Amino acid sequence: MISGLVQILLFQSLGEILSKFALPTLPGPVIGLVLLIAWLVLRKGINTELALVADSFSQYFGLLFVPAAVGVVLFLPQLKANALAIISALVVSVILTIATSAVVVRFLSPKASKGLNHE
Amino acid sequence: MNEQHSIVEIWVYLSGSPLVALFITLAAYQIGLWVYKSSKQNPLANPVAIAIILVASMIQYVDMPYSTYFEGAQFIHFLLGSATVSLAIPIYRGLSSLKGRALPLLASLMAGGLASIFSAVNIAKLLGANASITGAMYPKSVTAPIAMGIAERIGVSPTLTAIFAVTTGILGAILAPFIFNALGMKEWWQRGYAIGIGAHGIGTSRAFSIHPEAGTYASLAMGMNGVISAVAIPFLYHLFNK
Repeated sequence: MISGLVQILLFQSLGEILSKFALPTLPGPVIGLVLLIAWLVLRKGINTELALVADSFSQYFGLLFVPAAVGVVLFLPQLKANALAIISALVVSVILTIATSAVVVRFLSPKASKGLNHE
Repeated sequence: MNEQHSIVEIWVYLSGSPLVALFITLAAYQIGLWVYKSSKQNPLANPVAIAIILVASMIQYVDMPYSTYFEGAQFIHFLLGSATVSLAIPIYRGLSSLKGRALPLLASLMAGGLASIFSAVNIAKLLGANASITGAMYPKSVTAPIAMGIAERIGVSPTLTAIFAVTTGILGAILAPFIFNALGMKEWWQRGYAIGIGAHGIGTSRAFSIHPEAGTYASLAMGMNGVISAVAIPFLYHLFNK
């Protein structure tokens, strides 16, 4: 557990340092994520300690952005005044996003003979 | 009088320590998880949304300023960065699924990502929303922790972005099956991938609960969308806002 956390924090720190001094447009944790993927590809595998920490993080991912999202209390008047615009934008946009992605991935995938490509 | 005085004192003492904020955040999330499980994982009963509503109502009710709450809850907030880094593991596990399908998957991601930004920003603008709201819509299809990082970089509110991202995830998880059926999508991997692009983590957990192959592709889509958007959105944002 601790060794897994150390690995995560190490890559997070590397990411933060690179973000601060070399790639200011990218958030540090995203750079850390990419470095960690590269490291895993090089090592050809995930050690169990790291998998343990990563899986517990992903299980409770949602909890971690509650504190920031509660900041919604500061935006209530603004959200109420723009409720129609926001709801319409989010609903229509999510339908278009999913539909576009679905149509493109289906259109560009080689048509496997029907019924044979279900693994 | 004396009695009341001491209760106020206890409250003042407690609200000055991180304990209250940590407690209500974890308790609200626990309640959210419980409601989600008892509703048989209905996407409408999203545990994160429930937790946000409960905590927000609670701090408004007791008149606790958001800054005081956040001072305590920042210990949870800090872990977001570490959680983002740990997304490397599901992405790495999904990399083998890219084999032979890289072109359709990348093209779908680009098309979906652009559709998300253009439709949301333009509809909101058309209906009169100002720049602080339309700006926060750019990363709304990106998984919330990365979306908030992007929001900070482009100078829009991470809070609004988090709210839009969570709402998008819930809407996507609810609407996706209808969209796929209307379009006649049959392949699980394609359905999973599309829901991962449009509805990030919330869509991904829904995909996993329906079909494992859909879940794997959804989490790959979510991860790739996060990394590519972190590079592309600051660029697109400055392109359209200068």
